[in-house]
Amino acid sequence: MRRRDFLTLCGAAGLGFAAPVGPSSIARAAAAKSELPSYDGPFYVVFNAAGGWDTTYLMDPKGVKDTNRLYQHGEIVTQGAHRLAPNAAHIKAGLSNEDFFKTYGDDLLVLNGLDYSVNNHSPCSRYMATGKLDSLAYPTFAALVAACNGAEVPLAFLTFGNYSATGNLVPMARVPYLSSLNRLANADGVNGSARSPYHDDFVIDRIERALAEQMQARVSQARLPRVERSQSMLYAAQLNSKALQRVTAYVPKNSPKERLSRQADIVLASFKAGVCVSANLNIGQFDSHANNDRDQMKLIPEFLAGVDYLVKKSEELKIREQLVIIIQSEMARTPKYNNNNGKDHWSIGSIMFMGRGIRGNRVIGATDEKHFLVPIHPKSLSIDKEKGIRIRPEHIHLALRNLAGIDQHEFSKKFPLKVSEQEQLKSLWG
Amino acid sequence: MLNRHRSLLAGAFSIVLVASWQFGVATISTALGGDEDDKQSDPASKQPPAKKAAGRSEANHRGPSCFVVDNFFVDEVWGKVGERTCLKCHNVKGDASDSEFLLRDVARDRQTRQEAIRHNRAAFRQMATAQEDGKSRLLQKIAGGLDHGGKEVLKADSTGYKILTRFVRRIEGKPDIGPPIADYAAPPFFDGIEMMSPGRLLRRLTLSLAARLPTRKERAAVEKDGLKAIDKILDSVMTEDAFYERLQEAFNDILLTYGYDGGGESALSYEHFKPRLWYQDRDPRKGLSPEKKKELPYSHPKMIAYTKLIRDYREGMRREPLELITYIVRNDRPFTEIVTADYTMLSPYTSRGYGMFEELRDQFKDPDDPYEYIPTKIKRLQSRNGRKVQESPTGFYPHAGLLTSFQYLKRYPTTETNRNRLRVRMYFKHFLGVDLMTLAPRVNDAAAITAQYEIPTMQAADCVVCHKVMDPIAGLFQDFYVVDGKGIYGPRKDGWYKDMFTAGLQEEELPTDERWRSLQWLGERTAKDPRFAVAMVKHVWYILAGRRPLLPPEDIDDPLFSAKRRAYRTQRGEIEQIATRFAAAKFNLKIVFKELVKSRFYRARGLAATVKDPRRQAELGDVGVVRMLTPEQLERKLTALFGQKWNRLTDKEAKLKILYGGIDSKEVTERMTDPSGAMGAIQRIMSNAIACKNVALDFSRKPSERRLFPNIELTVVPGESSEAETQIRRAIVHLHEHLLGRDDADDDPEVERTYRLFAGIVSDAKATKGLDRRGSYSCDRVDKKRLDDPHYTLRAWRGVVTYLLRQHDFLYE
Repeated sequence: MRRRDFLTLCGAAGLGFAAPVGPSSIARAAAAKSELPSYDGPFYVVFNAAGGWDTTYLMDPKGVKDTNRLYQHGEIVTQGAHRLAPNAAHIKAGLSNEDFFKTYGDDLLVLNGLDYSVNNHSPCSRYMATGKLDSLAYPTFAALVAACNGAEVPLAFLTFGNYSATGNLVPMARVPYLSSLNRLANADGVNGSARSPYHDDFVIDRIERALAEQMQARVSQARLPRVERSQSMLYAAQLNSKALQRVTAYVPKNSPKERLSRQADIVLASFKAGVCVSANLNIGQFDSHANNDRDQMKLIPEFLAGVDYLVKKSEELKIREQLVIIIQSEMARTPKYNNNNGKDHWSIGSIMFMGRGIRGNRVIGATDEKHFLVPIHPKSLSIDKEKGIRIRPEHIHLALRNLAGIDQHEFSKKFPLKVSEQEQLKSLWG
Repeated sequence: MLNRHRSLLAGAFSIVLVASWQFGVATISTALGGDEDDKQSDPASKQPPAKKAAGRSEANHRGPSCFVVDNFFVDEVWGKVGERTCLKCHNVKGDASDSEFLLRDVARDRQTRQEAIRHNRAAFRQMATAQEDGKSRLLQKIAGGLDHGGKEVLKADSTGYKILTRFVRRIEGKPDIGPPIADYAAPPFFDGIEMMSPGRLLRRLTLSLAARLPTRKERAAVEKDGLKAIDKILDSVMTEDAFYERLQEAFNDILLTYGYDGGGESALSYEHFKPRLWYQDRDPRKGLSPEKKKELPYSHPKMIAYTKLIRDYREGMRREPLELITYIVRNDRPFTEIVTADYTMLSPYTSRGYGMFEELRDQFKDPDDPYEYIPTKIKRLQSRNGRKVQESPTGFYPHAGLLTSFQYLKRYPTTETNRNRLRVRMYFKHFLGVDLMTLAPRVNDAAAITAQYEIPTMQAADCVVCHKVMDPIAGLFQDFYVVDGKGIYGPRKDGWYKDMFTAGLQEEELPTDERWRSLQWLGERTAKDPRFAVAMVKHVWYILAGRRPLLPPEDIDDPLFSAKRRAYRTQRGEIEQIATRFAAAKFNLKIVFKELVKSRFYRARGLAATVKDPRRQAELGDVGVVRMLTPEQLERKLTALFGQKWNRLTDKEAKLKILYGGIDSKEVTERMTDPSGAMGAIQRIMSNAIACKNVALDFSRKPSERRLFPNIELTVVPGESSEAETQIRRAIVHLHEHLLGRDDADDDPEVERTYRLFAGIVSDAKATKGLDRRGSYSCDRVDKKRLDDPHYTLRAWRGVVTYLLRQHDFLYE
């Protein structure tokens, strides 16, 4: 990450109450105003299948009649270490499991037998996003890593849905339209045109300096905590927003039709421009209480195609090596069909990871034939019905914090996950 | 365990103020504290632990000092364990009501708080000193020993258990073993906090609630009578249409009723409302040949009018539940009517959809006004073929305010698996202030429980704890069971579910003869529930502050837990007091606005001195409004200050609303409260564009008609004379007052900074060779004529206005 003194100011300001802007940073900012904050990676992407995906139709196949009507046990496909449900014959669009695992199996780490503990959308979403079931205060992993690694960049934490609490550590950003990025990039131009500025350069320069001086003056004043925090955040937001001018070079001319691809384009342009650290990508309608197979066969391929799109485009932009990708849902589906050919909520599921620092072609954990969790040993990560533990979101989140190198950051400590030393999955990433 | 849960739930609903912890929201039972005055001065508690233990062990206390309640008990034992854990069952109506270890809710009665805390300490002390097999009963019971009815409540390695262990040691006179006890002498809660002046408060109120600046008369009243004048002014503000626009917008933030699926008229079902597509009869293209239709493109005046008619009708339909709120508040009716009103609100347009226009026509002042609403009872529902008629002895639809609103029910539809439970969740959230899903109880293995029991929601204790409460209420909605959002009214074809607890509320079953009006039955009981008043005060708090009141702190390991608890309790105490006054005023919601705007939480503006103690900082963390304006609020403020709309923040085509943190009521339902870089960019766009649009325009008017520059001309140039400087400074003071609400003196440092900006721009411009002495082509044209800028003051003032519009004082309230 490229940092200058100026960035220190922006970061401090962006972090608000935790680290308000100090006089020395302001002074440095004025001296180095031509610098704009930038973040070079790693970039964190959370793909969320909202509503609850059917893992038996993806990475944890059963192939028994009560659980899967579309394939038999003998038809389960093997790709390296992975076992997957065959679905190429049942999908009309998107990416089949076969193609997805063939392309990414060597990169994929699958964890089967994740215990969501409860089976309601709202608490499960919160739990999966934050690693904490019983708190509204905790930030999502994506927000936390953005706050720790690059709060000063203007779109540090982008979200397109899913539970997106920030813990008041970093502002979230919603950019629903690709075209908006261009408009935001040229805020000082009439109708967004850089050729037609509202003010002469020296006027803008004077305004920025006056705002910096004002901020500096306020630092020494007694202020309510909320005032202090919000003034810092506002100052940082406006100042850092100028970095958005770098985005335009990476905004594609045409926007794809697919939901996840549209989100991915915005995220990738922001990553490449150095204005974003993390993003929640999200599509819904997985809650297949009726007609499970029809819905899952439509949505899983769409979801995987979205992951594929992001990875391939990241290759074109030469940032694939910087990506950390988490592929998840807030719950799974029951191992039996209900009377509406649907499946209801199930609290044992799976999660997948790939990217920087993650050794792929591995499957950790398991569920039994009735889709109950099989405990694993936290050290060896092997099945251990006697001394194993149930892997829950807090275990995953602590491991993610380790992977991102933020487990000892003061922000992480503000939101402890309280996983005992013995239960930590220290070798999860391989 | 199952019986315990049942008992807990029953208790929870009969002891309303001990009501929400069973959902994991340890709020209401701990809620009623005002300023936290539980602690009494106990010099001993401020001594180092070892010294204290040796010199004044509690076991040796005799006489009155025994009753001194120390910080350790208040902050540690009670605040972290007793209140959060033991009180759940060990109260007079709780599951352990027959226990000798009975505790009192310290938060419930401000008058008897000290007495209650002393009582509780005595109870803890008695349990701590009583021993079984040489070990304190308190420690054994809490760990699940001695046949504790609540089983294991705290693990031996938990922080809570360690606190009790330490308490026992202190009681026994043994040396203390924990970290030093906090020596924080908390000042009175609002000590050192500066309140905003009545004049500034007035400006905030009229801008926030009425989208305008204060009138001269209002300013004079406040100058004369200060805060006392606010009530009367608010009475007037709350008659203005702008207030109700704000009220509707705010309640939609809470209820999200605008966000139901489909077109606005889809709230009216195909089955029951044949005329719901009445507008189609007015289609200018109806009955025309394809060729003739081509003669009526959408740009044709007739088609424009038709499109507007449809848009107004749909908007009118969506607005209906919010119009109910408007009607109740505007007419000083009890706000409980949002769950009891035996009417709904219809307009000339929406009444056509209901098939009632003809009979209502004469009641409308203007039968062509799509947004004139009147209270109306609609007739009981009848199926399209006329064969099925809704049971109703009165002949009318059994209205129960929002509970029976088609829009509200459509916004929260149900499915065969959800079985109205989403509606129950919303009922609790919207009308009782309890979020059932906020803190769902942890279970060991939900999948195993699901598999183990035939009907987990009725048999598994972990499930029953919530479903015993939810499912009877879900049963009250059973006649509104057209699933998957395909309609609203209609019972389930196969009859209501047998594998759910029967319809009712708390322990009370819905009487058979009340079935036809089950939601009225629910609404009547809801209106009597003390949580209703508290929930409504919290709603208004949200409207005014832009954020919800604090939740109780959760992590007892947090070193700032006690400070956060105090902040929570003080805020909660304020809410409870206002809820009491609200109920006493027959639930007139205007009272809540009037009370809250006068509260110190709302008026807090600054600190007299810098606060460095992190505990005090934590206490003050949520004090003061300090709210970033929403896109809608910012648009209204711009209109109020500049006299014309910008419209970019709310216009759909501009697509900035969601980017600037707004909501669509459907998929984006939470407003963003902190500015991202994207929002920072929009603020820059806005400040540039508004200054561009208004500065030259303002100077082109007569001075008496100017809003921004009534006392200065473009010919006044900095540095030319002391009079010029004085004049410029006064112009800046006016701008600060008009745009920022500041009341600065001519020599205020902020005025000085703005002056330097102005003078600096002029100076830079003069030093720039060849700079055009005309105004900007894009900004400085009036009536298509480009203004001259011979002294560069026009661009300098434009720079100044841009600078001011980017400021915290402008973008926040």
